[in-house]
Amino acid sequence: MAWACLIWVVAWLPLQTARAANSDDGIEFFEKKIRPLLIERCYACHSDREGTREGGLALDSHSARLAGGERGTAVKPGNLDASLLIQAVRYADPQLQMPPDKRLPASAIADFERWVRLGAPAPQDDDAPRSTPRSSPADPLAGREHWAFRPLQPSGLPAVKAAEWPRTRTDYHVLAGLEANGLQPADDADRRTLIRRTYFQLIGLPPTPAQVARFLSDERDDAFAHVVDELLESPQFGERWGRHWLDLARYADSNGLDENFLFREAWRYRNWVIDAVNADLPYDDFLVHQLAGDLLPHDSVDQRDRQRIAAGFLVIGPKVLLGNNPQERIMDVADEQLDTIGKAVLGQTLGCARCHDHKFDPIPTADYYALAGIMTSTEVMQQRYMLGQQRVMERLVGLGAEENAVNAAYEKYWRESKTLQERAKQGKAALELLKKNDQDGLKDLAEKHAGVVAAEALDADQQPPQRMAAQEKLVATLVAAANPPAIPPRAMIPGDVAKPKNEAIRLAGQFDRPGDEVERGFLRVVSDRKFELPENQSGRLELAAWLTDVEHGAGNLSARVLANRIWHHLMGRGIVRTVDNLGRTGEAPSHPELLDALAAQLIASDWSLKALVREIVTSRTFQLSSRHDARAHEVDPDNRLLWRGHRRRLGPEALRDAMLAVAGTLDLKPMDSTVSYLGDQATAVGANKNRRRTDFPCRSVYLPVIRNDLPEVFDVFDFADPHATTGLRPQTIVATQGLFILNDETVMDAARAAASRLLVEVQPPSDRGRVTWMFEHLVGHLPTADEEQQILAFVRATAERLRSEGVADPDRTSWATACHALFASSRFQILD
Amino acid sequence: MGCHRFLNTVSRRDLLRTSATGFAGLALAAMTGQSGQVHGAATSGEAGLAQVPHHPPRAKRIIFLFMWGGPSHVDLFDPKPTLAREDGKQLAGASVGSDRKQLGTLLASPFKFAQHGDSGVWMSELFPHLSRQADRLCVIRSLHTEGNAHGEALLRLHTGQANLVRPSVGAWVSYGLGRENENLPAFITISPPRGHGGVQNYGNAFLPARHQGTAIGSAEIPIAQAAVANLGNKRLSSDVQRRQLDLIQALNRKHLDQATADPQIEGLIANYELAFRMQSTMPNVMRLESETQETLDLYGVDQDPTDNFARQCLLARRFAESGVRYIQVSTDYTWDHHQKVKEGSITESAKVDRPIAGLLEDLGRRGLLEDTLVLWGAEFGRTPMVENGDGRNHHPRAFTMWMAGGGARGGMTFGSTDDFGYAPADRPVHMHDMHATLLHALGLDHKRLTYRHAGRDFRLTDVYGNVVHDVLA
Repeated sequence: MAWACLIWVVAWLPLQTARAANSDDGIEFFEKKIRPLLIERCYACHSDREGTREGGLALDSHSARLAGGERGTAVKPGNLDASLLIQAVRYADPQLQMPPDKRLPASAIADFERWVRLGAPAPQDDDAPRSTPRSSPADPLAGREHWAFRPLQPSGLPAVKAAEWPRTRTDYHVLAGLEANGLQPADDADRRTLIRRTYFQLIGLPPTPAQVARFLSDERDDAFAHVVDELLESPQFGERWGRHWLDLARYADSNGLDENFLFREAWRYRNWVIDAVNADLPYDDFLVHQLAGDLLPHDSVDQRDRQRIAAGFLVIGPKVLLGNNPQERIMDVADEQLDTIGKAVLGQTLGCARCHDHKFDPIPTADYYALAGIMTSTEVMQQRYMLGQQRVMERLVGLGAEENAVNAAYEKYWRESKTLQERAKQGKAALELLKKNDQDGLKDLAEKHAGVVAAEALDADQQPPQRMAAQEKLVATLVAAANPPAIPPRAMIPGDVAKPKNEAIRLAGQFDRPGDEVERGFLRVVSDRKFELPENQSGRLELAAWLTDVEHGAGNLSARVLANRIWHHLMGRGIVRTVDNLGRTGEAPSHPELLDALAAQLIASDWSLKALVREIVTSRTFQLSSRHDARAHEVDPDNRLLWRGHRRRLGPEALRDAMLAVAGTLDLKPMDSTVSYLGDQATAVGANKNRRRTDFPCRSVYLPVIRNDLPEVFDVFDFADPHATTGLRPQTIVATQGLFILNDETVMDAARAAASRLLVEVQPPSDRGRVTWMFEHLVGHLPTADEEQQILAFVRATAERLRSEGVADPDRTSWATACHALFASSRFQILD
Repeated sequence: MGCHRFLNTVSRRDLLRTSATGFAGLALAAMTGQSGQVHGAATSGEAGLAQVPHHPPRAKRIIFLFMWGGPSHVDLFDPKPTLAREDGKQLAGASVGSDRKQLGTLLASPFKFAQHGDSGVWMSELFPHLSRQADRLCVIRSLHTEGNAHGEALLRLHTGQANLVRPSVGAWVSYGLGRENENLPAFITISPPRGHGGVQNYGNAFLPARHQGTAIGSAEIPIAQAAVANLGNKRLSSDVQRRQLDLIQALNRKHLDQATADPQIEGLIANYELAFRMQSTMPNVMRLESETQETLDLYGVDQDPTDNFARQCLLARRFAESGVRYIQVSTDYTWDHHQKVKEGSITESAKVDRPIAGLLEDLGRRGLLEDTLVLWGAEFGRTPMVENGDGRNHHPRAFTMWMAGGGARGGMTFGSTDDFGYAPADRPVHMHDMHATLLHALGLDHKRLTYRHAGRDFRLTDVYGNVVHDVLA
């Protein structure tokens, strides 16, 4: 295709003319006016020196300018009409407008014209010898050479010297890497450290002292494997690992961006993900549900609904709701979806190819629009009536056997609510008139407003009490009809448009500048195979299947991406640390054979997430101590080779859940909606004072994720920004974190609850026993003698001080202050 | 449209986690914002980016007075005799360069305009106090932007873009200049809006988290009741809390000894000290009790209807004095006059006129105005056409902002709109141009103030923006 292979139209050039024009004045004009313009506005896409030759055109040498690009001669000295450059900057032809982002000022256009009229003068040395055109980075064929697109490379176990060390395949690869660099692995972590690490990484909660004790006293060889299996089967596993996917799915309970409307039904999707992870739904199947659950066959209403809810993935992104142009919005929504799918599943920055061929990765613009056609053949928005107006909102579909009937009835109410309220008001007015016995007024009212006065009430022959009763009955009906009905169960679900169609390339990414149409399809860097997409469907089902198709689709790439993510979550760093970018600007894998082996295992296990987690956690590598080693640090300061375990800071969910767990106030029951009390506006603005609550005793994964109004603990401790897919959360050290831990009421409440527990549970009461209780419950270790002394001294001195300050219950408060200190300590917040 | 989606390259922040050598200095710098950010090069001291300033700065800080909702430019700063003459007539699209035939019925401004100061800057009668500062103002009448709805326009005003999450102006300033005062954030936003983008309007997006604006209260809360979250402990005396902190740090150091060298533990230790210092510094800056009665009166503190905005402006001055780089002050969502634009403009101007004039006067006499750029404006203006009988609709096509101090050319009126105030006529200034100009005044080149994210260099103005040199002295 034309945009992929650069076709050069080399015109015969009257070089003599050009040179003749090269008076000093002409060259000065070029240097003063033209070259700065070219550099400023053109070279970004048309420069050999910058390696950009869009449309085959370069403008940074004299001959290249004369040669032009695919469309023809760019500059024909002395001839304005034959110079495409002039046509382009004049913006006269809608198909040829440059620069694409913004028209040049009139004075600049005049300068270009003058320059061409002068014979396009330029200095000699400007005519640098043209390098052989290299293939564009976006070329899909050449792109197959990039490591991430190559087939998985099977490799045997590497030879290692310390043959007694490895336990699993993983260990062989890691050990081989260490030995090749003259390093050796750290010791195994002690069992207390190991079980704490494993609990947090698998279920996001600390082990109780009883669970620790059980493991410590379990002398079976496979004691640890038993713990791992137990955790994999625990419902808390899905709450921890489902959240990893929710980060990628940019899950949120509100739209964010310009108009922060509530996503009242988003929680169904969240809970579906948690359930799917707990059920270990194979990843290939999982993705089909994400992208096309609404298109899957079903045997029951319940199954249909669950499948539909899963497809909420496409609907849940943030959207500019009051943007001006519907066409622009459609392209923006498709872009947001492709960006999410590209990064989350393929580890590719597809969005870069929206405006131009990808500058680094093998993704031509045509491939972007091939995928975009699938997304724009899918609807995720609909017109709804809300807050008194017709709006374009996220698409909702009713659930249950009644599905659309209840949804339609509900929507109808909101369209008519003003009328219904007016009718109730008039009905009540009629009642007043009846009381006053104003027959004329009543008649008048009945004529003006049909159906608000009961026939019997209007009948003057009837007895007043009967008339009153009749009207009261009618008013009751009217009032009932005017009250908002209960919100029916609904879900955010995409749907295919009536007539799926291919999409046109948009020039410079601008929605209103269509270029050539491209057939809906997939990335050509993955394979040349032609996929037939159905004419009457969007093609989402086929796309979902292609993503994990190992034979003809992107299965190998998707497997590498997922295996790397699982490694990242368990080990603290990815084999490729840029987990959302396995493209050319991403990092190379530290252990390429290991990554391929893990990816292959993922595929072989029928895409089982739990199987791969088990494989990695039971490796000796996972169990490495995080102890420092000066020599190894010298050789490998970033610990890329894994000579030790990485220390990991608790994320906000684990931090909060662990505090509540120790406090004894954490309720492990799964939650449905935690935003049902909010109105249509998810944030407090103007008259709406209603704001999300965070005081639920549930696990953090169920707390409201309001875009732009996250729970404080999320905001402060680097929760994923739910506006965009996030595989690697930021890890910051900022003062607000210190302030939160030191001063937040919920932290102090948890500390106080923990203190109350220890005062009751340590029997017979002893201060030393209490210190032990604190350490065992909060940090999973026994205190050293030093630490014990420090805590005891602190508790005594603080109690005394509090007593002198007149604080009530000084002993409890003193212990609470000590528990609080341990929450704030690195031992609690950072996993060894 | 720039390319806009990116990978997570391993940022310096990630490197911090992994390099143990020399971490302590680096961590502290990272937390206090003292260090350079570019290419992982750490410097100590107060500077922001290593190569900053790009050119001699005219201002060291900015105070942005944000009038949420969109004041009507033709009722405040942009007098239109033609509009007055044609009151009640249709505005023909052709007369203002619009494709639409009729744009609506024109509504004359009910207010009297006059020229003020030696320079003769025009202002309506709604700003009796501000008009006495006229020679300090550089009034730009030809602003234009995109976004017909508040949310989009607010995001463009604060971050330059609406459909993607981008760092806000203050975050860029913090990133570029670092902190003057290590115990205070570089970017503070007083009473920010919770809606229309909310925190996104003072967010750091992909810039390191320390560049996020620190919020004091929010727009709907009177500033006298507002607080910075967790800036102080409601249960423990400072004596007990200090002891507690000592215990925490003792435990942390023991952990660190055991671990030998760990950047995360070291970072945590340094961070608690910083938090504690911030906790003692910030409330002092926020205490207005030390101000003289004369100063309080100058702003209109404790007076009706100026009290709330006066307190905000006075706080802004105190933060400016203490070395905060970017301070935003926001009104509540009260300038959106779809009805009763006359009454609304009177009410809202009365709330802010005296506090703003007081702020300029106070900054001036303290010598702060020389290097503090004050900017006044909103997400858009309002139509010269009537809406709902006596109101005006949103109007991003043309509106007014003004600057004062910090290198702004005082007593100047720059750019113009057509006879109706509908579209810019002379020297249009796009919001991107305004952003470029603000950065320029601070010594920052908007094209060179970039952040490498996802394989690409991002900047506040994306691929747009021209510095309006003529408004700077």
